[in-house]
Amino acid sequence: MLVLTRKVGERILIGDDIVVQVVEFNRGSVKLGIEAPETVSIFRYEVYERIQEENRVSSKTGDSFDIIRAAEAWRRSQG
Amino acid sequence: MNIKTDQFKSAEIREDKIISMPSGMPGFLECKRFVIIEREEMWPFYIFQCMDDKDLSFFIMNPFLFKPDYEVNLDQAIKEMKWLTDDHKDIKIHVIVNTTAGIPEKITANLLGPLLINIRNNEAVQLVLHNSPYSHKHPIFAETGPEKMPDVNNKKAANE
Repeated sequence: MLVLTRKVGERILIGDDIVVQVVEFNRGSVKLGIEAPETVSIFRYEVYERIQEENRVSSKTGDSFDIIRAAEAWRRSQG
Repeated sequence: MNIKTDQFKSAEIREDKIISMPSGMPGFLECKRFVIIEREEMWPFYIFQCMDDKDLSFFIMNPFLFKPDYEVNLDQAIKEMKWLTDDHKDIKIHVIVNTTAGIPEKITANLLGPLLINIRNNEAVQLVLHNSPYSHKHPIFAETGPEKMPDVNNKKAANE
């Protein structure tokens, strides 16, 4: 991993068009400003990981027994 | 085209119904073509079947059935996907659900990563919401279903 030291207000350039600026440093937290093209997705890593993990858990390789029972329960709950 | 899936009988898939996900799904980036399969006995759930891996499928549903005030900022997706639409009616929102074996009422929905499908060009993306109050394990029966708890504390817990 590349590690750089930057002061508040200083920036780094990634590729041609992604700029990351250190906006604020306070009590162990760093606030970053990111300029990137609209088509570039930017995620908080742990949120992305949570979605990734939830997708893995939700993906089905087994049978459809549970979803049919859940569907029945849903229809019952709707009267 | 005829796709043979493990869990479902072979389903006839029309080419024009294939939904492409150019950026894949988190955790399954290599899966880029999907199709929605409807089964009467599964309503309100649908099967989101991957065409690139017959063993991979998800169950999805319309989130507004259990969360009428659910909100997603569609503009973010429209920009990221370079979709040439500003008509939000062209974009259908689904969420992926997750069942618990043997306890059908424990089914949860991932409100943090909604699946957006552009019905104009059949492209889809799974959004990852920023600064969102929503959970990736939202119980769909919490407010309207058989698990409704009269106890205030329990109700609070279920909403978290």
